[in-house]
Amino acid sequence: MISFTLNGDPVETDAPADTPLLWVVRDYFKLKGSKYGCGLGLCGACSMRVDGQSVRTCILPVSAVADRAVMTIEGLGSKAQPHVLQDAWVAHGVPQCGYCQSGQLISASVLLEQNPNPTSDEIDAAMSGNICRCGTYPRIKGAIQDAASQLRRETDSGNAS
Amino acid sequence: MTKPKKQTRRTFLKLLGVTGAGLVIGITVTRDRRSPFPANDLALEPDAFLQITPENVVNFFLPHAEMGQGVYTGLTTLIAEELDISPEKIQVHHANAHAAYRHPEFRMQITGGSTSIKVRYQPLRQAAANARALLLDAAAEQLAATRSDLTTANGDVVWNGKHFPYGDFATTAASLKLSDDASLKETAEFRYIGGDVPRLDARAKTTGDAMFGLDVEIPNMHRAVLVRCPVIGGAPKSVNANAARETDGVTDVVTIFNGVAVVATSYWQAKKAADKLEIEWDYPALQRQSSAEIRAAMEAALEHDDGKEIYVEGSGAAALDDANSVVEATYWAPYLAHAPMEPMNCTARIEDGNCDVWVGTQVPELARGLAAFHAGIGKRHVTIHQKFLGGGFGRRGMADYVSEAVAIAKESGKPVQLVWSREDDTKNSYYRPASLTKYRAGLGSEGRIESWSVKRVGPNILPHIVEHMVDGMLPAATPDGIVSWLSDRPHGVFKSLVGDPFSVEGLFEDYDIANKEVRHVTHDPGLRASYWRSVGHSYSGFFKESFVDELAAKSGKDPVEFRLAHLSDDSVLRRAIELAADKGAWATGSAPGVFNGFAAHTSFGAGVAQIAEVSIENRKIRVNKVTCAIDCGVVVNPDIVKANVESAIIYGLTAALYGDITLVDGQVEQGNFHDYTVMRMADSPQIDVHIVSSTRDPVGVGEPGLPPVAAAVANAVFAATGQRLRDLPLKLA
Ligand code: FES
Ligand code: FES
Repeated sequence: MISFTLNGDPVETDAPADTPLLWVVRDYFKLKGSKYGCGLGLCGACSMRVDGQSVRTCILPVSAVADRAVMTIEGLGSKAQPHVLQDAWVAHGVPQCGYCQSGQLISASVLLEQNPNPTSDEIDAAMSGNICRCGTYPRIKGAIQDAASQLRRETDSGNAS
Repeated sequence: MTKPKKQTRRTFLKLLGVTGAGLVIGITVTRDRRSPFPANDLALEPDAFLQITPENVVNFFLPHAEMGQGVYTGLTTLIAEELDISPEKIQVHHANAHAAYRHPEFRMQITGGSTSIKVRYQPLRQAAANARALLLDAAAEQLAATRSDLTTANGDVVWNGKHFPYGDFATTAASLKLSDDASLKETAEFRYIGGDVPRLDARAKTTGDAMFGLDVEIPNMHRAVLVRCPVIGGAPKSVNANAARETDGVTDVVTIFNGVAVVATSYWQAKKAADKLEIEWDYPALQRQSSAEIRAAMEAALEHDDGKEIYVEGSGAAALDDANSVVEATYWAPYLAHAPMEPMNCTARIEDGNCDVWVGTQVPELARGLAAFHAGIGKRHVTIHQKFLGGGFGRRGMADYVSEAVAIAKESGKPVQLVWSREDDTKNSYYRPASLTKYRAGLGSEGRIESWSVKRVGPNILPHIVEHMVDGMLPAATPDGIVSWLSDRPHGVFKSLVGDPFSVEGLFEDYDIANKEVRHVTHDPGLRASYWRSVGHSYSGFFKESFVDELAAKSGKDPVEFRLAHLSDDSVLRRAIELAADKGAWATGSAPGVFNGFAAHTSFGAGVAQIAEVSIENRKIRVNKVTCAIDCGVVVNPDIVKANVESAIIYGLTAALYGDITLVDGQVEQGNFHDYTVMRMADSPQIDVHIVSSTRDPVGVGEPGLPPVAAAVANAVFAATGQRLRDLPLKLA
């Protein structure tokens, strides 16, 4: 049994210890928002936050997250209570096929926590592990910049959450 | 069906070598008599697209696959406009396989050819207008009101200032006679069409709620991993599955037509066990093919084989003899895989004589046919459950993954989800075919192109497509609609065609030149090939627009002026070129250290022109910016049009700069994103898209942004370095 927290809830699994976290979350916990794209850590579709870092979970054995905190797209925000990035994604019409977007949002959320005012190059650097075959990059960048300035406004006015 | 088309069809079938092989011509596809709707006796169901329930739910059954191109929003907008209800209030459902959803031109259910908005623009608006009229009739009856006193507002019937939801009248409306000619709104009255209705699927695609094929869960679902022959088309000869069977979680190991499948309770267990299979293969003839030899053979064919005459205008290639000077150049484009972000997958269950298939596909009807074939049951016992597609790009216009999943479900007796790895996806695509093309042009005294001769060597995709469809669609039909459509496109020049139109489309049509000749040499090494975003235009746009740029340079003319000089005043492409040149300040020239290249191409009815701004860093090509103009007729959703063009440009840049599928002994060398590189954010350019304002009916948008971009970049590289790069992907010497 391996225990960790998944979107804030304590969970445990009897999945074989070498099973990548991605498949444990998808097949055992039935959270389908995190996607399989390459299985080699090359595309970012499977990105989740593990202790606040954006991690490629298709190559991370579930045993490696024992006692750690895992957050998936389902934990980032919901339709009723969206994360500021999710709102920015909708406002910019980012998703096309949508398949890569969970991973994109996870990486973007980590970026903004670590760097509230990223330059264009810094966004490139933080996001280039996430492939989008629909080519939504220009809109992703615009959405991140918008979300960043909104978060800064909230911080400046002292009501940041 | 008219006689000449039958003629075309026979020619076409002969071309493919399928006449005389037991193919029955002229049998129509059996009508599908099942209702396409979930049962609801009280609802208004004026047609297969709309259902309005007494609970006031407006259901729209989306007849096309949503794969990122935006039909989920665009087609719903058409309904919303004429039904007079805001698009967000409409519940959108993916339509399953049903005859009612057939593509009006292709006459089978298919999403492709950048046609969804084009072919649904009129019929869906009409359907919604008819439904609205019927609701008003019902309201007049129910309220005992005068029909002309009633109007509608955002999903309500309005009478004397009082609002009644449509649902109140659904049951009455269902009992009234539907007329099919309610009047449509004038363009000036549009409220949603032409506005930027926000993508209706955007929210679900940012929360992880959108359901793709791979996200399906059904009771007792097992996962399957299929090991296929390293050379596509081979079959297993002998299998040692002992070690695989003993792996934890494995329930079955089964052999199907193209490989050996491991079925397990979880994907990871199936995958680990699949690595332990020992399989001997019967290799197909493709095993004798490698990329270097394929290229050499195509070069020899170009040199020595005259090929078939496809099209002649004026005195054809003979006119070259009269030219002041003759310019020639030969271009190459390699095989490409689509690499959609969601690898192929399919979930299948065979139970009590019924087969259910959950899948994201561009071809639900073909999927149903293939499922019926592999399950060994009638098509009416097969249900296709359509999902969001994690990218299509033409790859999901084939349904091989459905055949595989159903065959595995049948052999194992388990409900299975077949999961392709990225490697499976890259190595088992239906590839964009490689092409070698030589142009010769004669320039006249004024620097005008007087003659234009082009010969393409390469595989045709139609034989591969038909071969794939045979089990699913024959003998009932190789749909007449597809054949007619093919033989009519583009500009009607293929009416007397004796080749595969996809192979030569875009090589010759755009410019007004008195003498033209198109020849084709079919050379097919046997690697399966099919639709790839923009199909033949994906290479012909590069070839033609690189060559025109060479001709402009030889003539000492400005590339934009040179192109315009060969386009009529009413040309769609002219409008796009003028707008792109204006918005991109072509005449001003480029800033120091960066270089501009121009290209323009018509495809799927849309004219597209682009300026690529390029810089060269450490002998590497960097694309900084692309300015693009598109003329695609009336625009239903400008923001989605722009998104499609941005997408096509980035997809095209991947092909321009990186894409190359190569073979060694028939095996595809590339497997994952480390050796099949795709564009990432850091390398993607700024993109500005401008739309030519137009009142003509809508045409294609999903693909036309792609064809010019490789040439725009190559032409910019020439401006920067003086090197003409004639091979894709572009690499500086
Ligand atoms: S699926 Fe994990 S990085 Fe691609
Ligand atoms: S939106 Fe389709 S892959 Fe990113």
